Amino acid sequence: MIARLKPSRSMHRIATFAALALSSTLFAQDGQWLTYSGSFSSHRFSPLAQLTPSNVGRLKPVWVYQPAGVGSVEATPIVADGVMYTTSGPTNVAALDLKSGKPLWEWNRPIAATVLNLGFPRVNRGVAILDGTVYVGTLDGYLVALDAKSGAERWSTQVGDNPTGHAITAAPLAVDGKIIVGISGGEAGIRGFLDAYDAKTGKQVWRFWTVPSPGEPGSESWPGDSWVHGGGATWLTGSYDSELKLLYWGTGNPGPDWNGDSRKGDNLYTSSLVAIDITTGKARWHFQFTPHDVHDWDANQIPVLVDADVRGTPRKLVVMANRNGFYYALDRSTGEYLLGVPYAKQTWAQGLDGKGRPILIPNMEPSEKGTLVYPSLQGSTNWGSPSYSPVTQMLYVPVREMGSIYYKTAVEYKPGTYYTGGSEKRLDEESWGAVRALDVRTGKQMWDFKLPSPTWAGVMSTAGGLVFGGSPEGNFFALDARTGKPLWQFQTGGAIRSGPMSFLADGKQHVVVAGGHALFVFALADER
Amino acid sequence: MIRPFSAWCFAALLCAPSSAAAQQRSLAAATSNDVAAGQRIFDAQCAWCHGAAGTGGTGPDLHRTTLRHAANDRELTTIVRNGIPGTEMPGFTSALTETMAWQTAAYVRSLGRARARPLPGNPEHGAAVYDANGCGGCHILRGRGNALGPELTTIGALRGAPYLRDALVKPEAAHPPGYLVVKATTTAGNVVRGIRLNEDVFYVHVRDARGTVHTLQKSELSALDRELEATLMPSYARLSAGDLDDLVAYLASLRGAK
Repeated sequence: MIARLKPSRSMHRIATFAALALSSTLFAQDGQWLTYSGSFSSHRFSPLAQLTPSNVGRLKPVWVYQPAGVGSVEATPIVADGVMYTTSGPTNVAALDLKSGKPLWEWNRPIAATVLNLGFPRVNRGVAILDGTVYVGTLDGYLVALDAKSGAERWSTQVGDNPTGHAITAAPLAVDGKIIVGISGGEAGIRGFLDAYDAKTGKQVWRFWTVPSPGEPGSESWPGDSWVHGGGATWLTGSYDSELKLLYWGTGNPGPDWNGDSRKGDNLYTSSLVAIDITTGKARWHFQFTPHDVHDWDANQIPVLVDADVRGTPRKLVVMANRNGFYYALDRSTGEYLLGVPYAKQTWAQGLDGKGRPILIPNMEPSEKGTLVYPSLQGSTNWGSPSYSPVTQMLYVPVREMGSIYYKTAVEYKPGTYYTGGSEKRLDEESWGAVRALDVRTGKQMWDFKLPSPTWAGVMSTAGGLVFGGSPEGNFFALDARTGKPLWQFQTGGAIRSGPMSFLADGKQHVVVAGGHALFVFALADER
Repeated sequence: MIRPFSAWCFAALLCAPSSAAAQQRSLAAATSNDVAAGQRIFDAQCAWCHGAAGTGGTGPDLHRTTLRHAANDRELTTIVRNGIPGTEMPGFTSALTETMAWQTAAYVRSLGRARARPLPGNPEHGAAVYDANGCGGCHILRGRGNALGPELTTIGALRGAPYLRDALVKPEAAHPPGYLVVKATTTAGNVVRGIRLNEDVFYVHVRDARGTVHTLQKSELSALDRELEATLMPSYARLSAGDLDDLVAYLASLRGAK
């Protein structure tokens, strides 16, 4: 559903797009990787082309970094000015030498065992960098600025209150002198928000509440005081259009997750994409993928900004393969719904109406006795990043093909505890996964590389014609971007729950992925 | 860096008494309404594994006055909430409030007080049936036997009798996790069928009925079929009713040292 909160200011200006496309390409061509998703457009596309289908078979590990602590490493590293900045859980940051893999500094925030992580593991997914400062969100709900050369703390500011379930695992985004940071806690009954902080001082510039308070637009979709614990977490990194000056950020499930009795209505702006003016922090438009979500289908997946033709007309798009099983393309200036098609097995909607609102199949809500629905509550895709290749015009999506029996239970709000009202029984044995290539203009499946189980790994495409992906079984692999044919693989020995990235060092293209509790860096064997 | 923790500790202290109270309240204080509420929760969330009325399934029979992992009321409530690490028992922290967990625990305690119907059958004779039918050819029991199927040394503590009976009579409907049967066909036309030991994107390891482990590269397979309904366990429906009762009683008695 679309709501224009403010008239759009911009029209298509092709010349400007071309200049922007060029600058963003140059930005990445120097071999750095400066944001979580590789660029503000979140293509997770490397313009480096040294690695190709014909030589990728010679890719070998060149070093491995094992951080302090335990648990899976889920970060996408940043590479800037010849240094890699990466993180591990609960909140550790390291600056690594690109050649040797040795730490130049490590910063480990003491996180007590009592710090809450309701609904997600004790992980950290990466940093932002701006003007010699590295920014990290902490599990206990702070945003911390570190000197990029030494790891010394410059400032620290509280973003959310951890005893009530607020936490940060997402990489912040550095935009326009501001640090944008989202919050986790959608299973704890938080009221979600997205914050902007002054990069130099740590002072809050604005806060956008993802759940409106009474009297604000959208508040009519929340009965009584249900909005107070309405959810709408912002737990993954969004995208930015520097011409429109709009941030695109996905929002999570409404609270309680599976029992919607107390929140009848659409529950805006949960399970939505919100376009926020970077200067004012106000929403210009929103689109809700799953109105009154009762399946925990967060819309926190990475919004990908693409310029492409839809039905013969050039459009500035924001596309998203959503957790609810549908692929969507919207006009990113206005939020206009352009198309939506299922890209994975789903049994809850007959389809989408002309405005993109789902046409529900009856009796698919969670119930006391259990309701079988596809996809599972983890969705048809989850936080593993998609990738867009401007070369193939395909969106590569990490897919989870799995159903669940959804249960509904009674629920009461109690600070710092789960506020979910249900559970699921996953159909594990019959489940599977894939890296799926979609024509970004239509959502049509172009190829499908099957995985033995639903994946948590992100994917990255490259100008050399490759798609890198991973599996829960530890495989890190390269596929032909045009055909999906497997070309190379390395067994990392631990589940891959991270997004790959690529950088240039000593003139050579490197590829990076975290697997298990380690970070692996690869390059061509005979060219390093 | 220290400040956030002191703030958190203060808030935790404010929250702690109520949660501790719910966890430690005696289950004997549960009213019939609490037990009825616990039964409804149990039917929806727990019967999947523990069977209707807690008589056991893939999870153990709960009609016992002492439960293996729950020496007291507090431990039982904690298990309902947090599960038992290292076992198939999951946690339910996101599904159940503390009160609901406590009510569920009260219902489970009521099952322990209810007189469990004794299993028909003679376990001593069941041991003879086990040996006579060569079960040790595929199962290890107290260190003896072969490892094609699950180890049975503590099977009576892990599974309920109805599940054990099903596993003998119609094993295809009751195969345990980790024993998926796959059929791999190589491009040369050879077929390997057996238990999938593990599988990643590029390899699959299969243990065939003779115990031989095959390492198969998927690029050299023309097909890899998951037989979700299949098992290598033969049916023992041919046993006499008496022998079957005895064998089930024997397996149910295998509860290990604890």
